[in-house]
Amino acid sequence: MTAATLDDARLDETFAALANSTRRAILARLADGEASVNELAAPFDLTLPAISKHIKVLEHAGLVTRSRHAQFRPCRIHPAALANVATWAEQYRHIWDDRFDRMDTYVQQLRQTPPKKAPER
Amino acid sequence: MTTSNDLRIERTFDAPIDLIWAMWTEPDHFANWYGPMGAKIPNAEMDVRVGGRRHIAMAMDTPRGPMEMFFVGEYREVNPKTRLVYTEAMAEADGNLMTAEKMGMPPGAHMETSVVVELEDLAGRTRMTMTHIGIPADSPGGQGWAMAIDKLEQRVAAHRI
Repeated sequence: MTAATLDDARLDETFAALANSTRRAILARLADGEASVNELAAPFDLTLPAISKHIKVLEHAGLVTRSRHAQFRPCRIHPAALANVATWAEQYRHIWDDRFDRMDTYVQQLRQTPPKKAPER
Repeated sequence: MTTSNDLRIERTFDAPIDLIWAMWTEPDHFANWYGPMGAKIPNAEMDVRVGGRRHIAMAMDTPRGPMEMFFVGEYREVNPKTRLVYTEAMAEADGNLMTAEKMGMPPGAHMETSVVVELEDLAGRTRMTMTHIGIPADSPGGQGWAMAIDKLEQRVAAHRI
């Protein structure tokens, strides 16, 4: 795997994590300061395990970190991961890169089975 | 967040320039690679000459069922095999432009983007430079959460966490 594909995989995760209104609300709350899982759960009509699951997704995407020391393990936002999606055009880069990968594959297929009308080179 | 919204991608293909030009200008070829992951292009009308129209239908299965989207635009520059410029905007099924309001954007928001494709023959291989100009920060591609991220960033900045 190249560094680029690893970055892509990471970006996929970040976007997947952000594509959920509850998780965005959790991030917005954390932008005001660190909070415990209980505090994060308070505004939602969701069980603690459900909230924990959302937090795990955010953690995995690198958007949230949790203290290992304090007993209630407060959650903190990790703005560096957001920087990856900061330039909106980057989302389009993703789409175009996928397209050009397909173009490349398709072009090579065409060259291996030359069309009858146009003999190859 | 109102930083530059232009996107530039450069690629070199191990294929002659004629073929790469055809990828952009012949509907059958175009439909083969253009759809984003999981999407199909059931119809592509491309009148490739300056002022000519393009009308692209895109179909995809979403968790909420099948969905169809339409993109219309115009060719602005056509220099065969080396340079192609076209505009693109989302449209209704009938080809009329979709208004910004319909997409949940502020009224009058500029929703048209341009795509510039430049090709260079490298002795049988082809270098392609694609520039996508004017991608709106809150474009439909971003759905609602573009704005959510903006707000989030502002808050993060404000709190300097």
